[in-house]
Amino acid sequence: MTARAERAPWLTLKMREAMEAWIFLSPTLIGFLIFFVGPLIAVVVYSLSEWNLLSQQSTFVGLANYDDALFRNPDFWQVVRNSIVFAIGLVPLNMALALALALALSRRFPGVIFFRTVFFAPVVTSAVAWAIVWKFLLQGEAGFVNQMLAGIGIDGPNWLRHPDWAMVAVILTRVIKMVGLNMILYIAALQAIPRDYEAAARLEGASNWQIFRMIIWPLLGPTTLVIMVITTIGSFKVFDHIYLMTGGGPENGTLVLAFYIYQQGFQFFDVGYASALAMIMFVIVMTLTIVQLALRRRDT
Amino acid sequence: MSSLTLRNLQKSFGRVDVIRGVDLDVADGEFVVFVGPSGCGKSTLLRMISGLEDVTDGELRIGDRIVNEVQPARRGVAMVFQSYALYPHLNVRDNMGFGLKVRKVPVAERQRRVTEAATLLKLDTLLDRFPRELSGGQRQRVAIGRAIVGHPDVFLFDEPLSNLDAELRVHMRAEIAALHKRLGNTMIYVTHDQVEAMTLADKIVVLRDGRVEQVGSPRELYERPDNIFVAQFIGSPKMNILPASAAGGFGAQPDGTVHVGIRPEHLSLVAPDEGHIVGKVVIAEYTGAATLLHVTLAGGETCLVVVDGEAPEPDAQVGLTAHPKNLHYFDADGLAFGLSRA
Repeated sequence: MTARAERAPWLTLKMREAMEAWIFLSPTLIGFLIFFVGPLIAVVVYSLSEWNLLSQQSTFVGLANYDDALFRNPDFWQVVRNSIVFAIGLVPLNMALALALALALSRRFPGVIFFRTVFFAPVVTSAVAWAIVWKFLLQGEAGFVNQMLAGIGIDGPNWLRHPDWAMVAVILTRVIKMVGLNMILYIAALQAIPRDYEAAARLEGASNWQIFRMIIWPLLGPTTLVIMVITTIGSFKVFDHIYLMTGGGPENGTLVLAFYIYQQGFQFFDVGYASALAMIMFVIVMTLTIVQLALRRRDT
Repeated sequence: MSSLTLRNLQKSFGRVDVIRGVDLDVADGEFVVFVGPSGCGKSTLLRMISGLEDVTDGELRIGDRIVNEVQPARRGVAMVFQSYALYPHLNVRDNMGFGLKVRKVPVAERQRRVTEAATLLKLDTLLDRFPRELSGGQRQRVAIGRAIVGHPDVFLFDEPLSNLDAELRVHMRAEIAALHKRLGNTMIYVTHDQVEAMTLADKIVVLRDGRVEQVGSPRELYERPDNIFVAQFIGSPKMNILPASAAGGFGAQPDGTVHVGIRPEHLSLVAPDEGHIVGKVVIAEYTGAATLLHVTLAGGETCLVVVDGEAPEPDAQVGLTAHPKNLHYFDADGLAFGLSRA
């Protein structure tokens, strides 16, 4: 047979592949531009304006909203402090508990699926139902928690209305609700570690604690980083939990950034100021994430 | 260094019996290979010796100590895993020194022993590398080095070469043999590769379904297999097992012979009218050093024949002869004559 020269197509193979890729990417790309990049640019623009949602009047004010938040409004720093306290209280507790549960539930034993389900169920439970139940449990004297405490001679506070205890209560209830998600991530990571590592270490005389500290924990590093980043971001973005449990009270004691932004934008209709706050929150979360990634990279 | 004694050793996982009463004596400094098909229990037996699996019943002795209830780390054994089990976040130096570190061996002594083992295994230039930066053979050597630094009495190898390519496997096999010669420790080695078993072992233990089929030197197993399973498992290509009726041409058989075994390399090709038995070549596989013929006999049985040099083409009629001393006779239970099932 003799080879017959085919006429070159008007599009080269490479160009055709590129075109196909763009066609497949375009729905996501268009969605990303409309629903993410667009609003992000809008927030930046709004944050530079004095825009009241009721009067529908917008005036360019430059960095005045940022100046207000950072240097003039004392509420802002209390809100930032509350958010940091919430994150510092929630992230380590959530991660430690998730890891402990994962270590206990990553092996096969009768009933393990049941226990995993029990600890994961709150993650998929409606936030509203969760808040209602916990508000009921954490009521003053009539609350179930305080009645239990009274049984062992402890006079429990009115958890959600006490300025010192409200933050503790929202952190604990949030940890219980969300710990199952991190537990599942840790279980997956633990199960991916070959069992031979543990067997080899045991043969070499390592104790359970040494195996955990010297083998398991370092190998969980990448998972720990992911969990730390998403839990930190999640804790700074927490809104529904605060809205439903305390409404930011008492005495603004649980007023965190996301809820404060909501208040400014949708209760006081000060969209410009709320947008500036949102940008500040974006910078804080981004900075924390970069710091965490950098720390992790240095460790490895 | 230590001897090893297994008495009626048994292991069950739930209701499944995996090791069904193994008796074995391993002398001090001996190189013993456990060999058998997948699922025969050889790795489980090794893990029982290491202490990673507990003993359901029986007695396990290392030296003069019964170690059934002794923790793995206190048995004086070190194990090289099939997967190497090198800790990916530690470099070669720390991998090799891990056991000494957890046992709180002083840093200077730890470094001395790691350096000593690294020199022995030619790993000196790789000590600061991570496992991901090593080739398969280098990883294998690090795994062996990690075992050496602990100065164990007994080395356990769990299919250590099965992840290597064929060429490297031959090379590492020679290295392990040399290592045994140099260290002189008792070594127990698990493999499903009978060539590995034959070349490395002082003594081979053939296992099937959790039982020992035969224990002996490679030569004993090759020349005097106790039963059809061992006869066919040891040797490559495997031994031909012919019905007694088809092998009648080879000469007189002991009373009660049901099967006759003859290794492919022990059959000779002659003209059809000069052969003890006659057949037709169906396939001729040229392997370079020899040709492997698949010969169909009159009764339909297939017989393998190894031929050096010129080999007949497919469809050729051939005669086969064998020296009587190379014939193996098996009874109805598949046992070699002179043996009976306990």
